[in-house]
Amino acid sequence: MTTAAVEAIDIHKRYRGRDGEVHAVRGVNLSVSAGEVFGFLGPNGAGKSTTVRMLTTLMTLTAGSARVGGVDVATDAHAARRKIGVALQEAGLDPRQTGRELLVLQARLFGMSKHDALARAVELIELVELTDAADRRIKGYSGGMKRRLDLASALVHRPEVLFLDEPTTGLDPASRLTVWDEVRRINELGTTVFLTTQYLEEADALCNRLAIIDAGQIVREGAPAALKAELKMRLGLDADPTLDEVFLDATGRTRSRVAGDVQEV
Amino acid sequence: MFKDSLTLGGRSIREALRTPDSLVPSIFIPVFFLVVNVGQTARIFPAGETGFLKGQNYAAFQLPASLLLSASFGAAALYLVEEIEGGYFDKLRATPIARMSIVIGRLWAEFVKTGVLAAAMLLISLPFGIRIESGPLGFLLLLVVVSLWGVVFSGFMQLVALKTRSAAATQGASMVFFPLLFVTPNFVPRNLLTRPMEIAASINPVTYVMEATRSLILDGFDATALGRGFAVIAVTMALMLALSVRMINNYD
Ligand SMILES: Nc1ncnc2c1ncn2[C@@H]1O[C@H](COP(=O)(O)OP(=O)(O)OP(=O)(O)O)[C@@H](O)[C@H]1O
Ligand SMILES: [Mg+2]
Repeated sequence: MTTAAVEAIDIHKRYRGRDGEVHAVRGVNLSVSAGEVFGFLGPNGAGKSTTVRMLTTLMTLTAGSARVGGVDVATDAHAARRKIGVALQEAGLDPRQTGRELLVLQARLFGMSKHDALARAVELIELVELTDAADRRIKGYSGGMKRRLDLASALVHRPEVLFLDEPTTGLDPASRLTVWDEVRRINELGTTVFLTTQYLEEADALCNRLAIIDAGQIVREGAPAALKAELKMRLGLDADPTLDEVFLDATGRTRSRVAGDVQEV
Repeated sequence: MFKDSLTLGGRSIREALRTPDSLVPSIFIPVFFLVVNVGQTARIFPAGETGFLKGQNYAAFQLPASLLLSASFGAAALYLVEEIEGGYFDKLRATPIARMSIVIGRLWAEFVKTGVLAAAMLLISLPFGIRIESGPLGFLLLLVVVSLWGVVFSGFMQLVALKTRSAAATQGASMVFFPLLFVTPNFVPRNLLTRPMEIAASINPVTYVMEATRSLILDGFDATALGRGFAVIAVTMALMLALSVRMINNYD
């Protein structure tokens, strides 16, 4: 039996803050096979980033358990971190370093020698096409360049599973396509990709399988084509529905319902 | 952990070199206070006739206060909180290093930076008639005491940064710690303070660090003063490190 690349069993997250408690993730189960590009969709505030932070050891699980590459993220976080590459929603980069320095530092922290770290940085700079900017300070990078550098830094240690939280939000169409190409290339080299997105065409273009989360719970899961076929059958549609329609149906935000709400007022 | 903290420390030093303006207050404000304080009070404490000056001028007595002031800006914590707010901190937390090395890395850099600034201030002040009674070895020891204090101070500030994750709150915390520097025998020795002030100063750990520093300048090697100074540093450092380990390992 092959172990899943990402496995979450009934995970929960409750945030406790000054103004009460937020139950952001409410019993999510996920299983992503090795080699997949898995899409994680949901409206704003659904719990996507929270799930990603839990799966990448950056946040504790309130309940449940999760494994990445077969390693428990809670009990064996150090080993899990070697298997995980992560680019969070806010590209967190150090503005005072150059792109190359940042990659070298990241590689060193993953235990590479100085020599190997430098070589790896060169490879990655080429991969994300930042050759001209590599020795400039990150402060002066554009949003798209920061995203690409963040992506590169998530790859320094050749992770088994790459988590990308909204990797293309805020990018122009050309940069978005570049990131798509990179995701495909990375996946072809054998890396499992777990990505969240707001763009349904992105999920359609990239993902083998996806899950839709709404208010902390998974409401749909499956291959894009299967989800569309299910909706077509259930509603007895003539034309094939788009993934947008699947999404709206799953999250209860259908147009007719929105219209209905307006009429009631 | 040691190696990772050095790697991260090197990066923090590079960061300081790239933002030299961030060092300006740590040298300008202490020198400003030194000049102003000495300018206002030197006539009350003439060099030859004031016993506690041990034959030196009043600036020699005031210098420790300025050195400690320069060590008490907690720049490490301000960078750390910027990193938390900006998200790079999470990037570092996602690497398989001991999380404590993130804290220690910044403290290494703080040690070096404070030492360099203290050396600069000492070298600037030597031509103005200040003598380091304890000699070259004492000079080095002075740098060590001041730098270690800089580490302790910014370590506590980093705790605030980790706890609040807010730049404004971290800035505010320095305003809370800052007054500790003045509840000390910074104008006259402890035995000349008013009784309430003397009690307050005796409770204040900074007093003993200041007295250790001062003894190296005025007296030479005074085992009691140095012993107390290092004891205070050791205890506060241990406390700060223990709290930091707890705080960063439970960071969520
Ligand atoms: N640190 C926090 N403290 C308290 N509540 C939080 C915190 N982070 C997120 N939340 C809450 O948890 C819920 C889920 O947030 P999360 O960021 O996971 O959503 P998301 O699906 O990533 O949304 P988006 O598409 O806007 O990025 C939201 O209601 C949010 O307000
Ligand atoms: Mg999010």
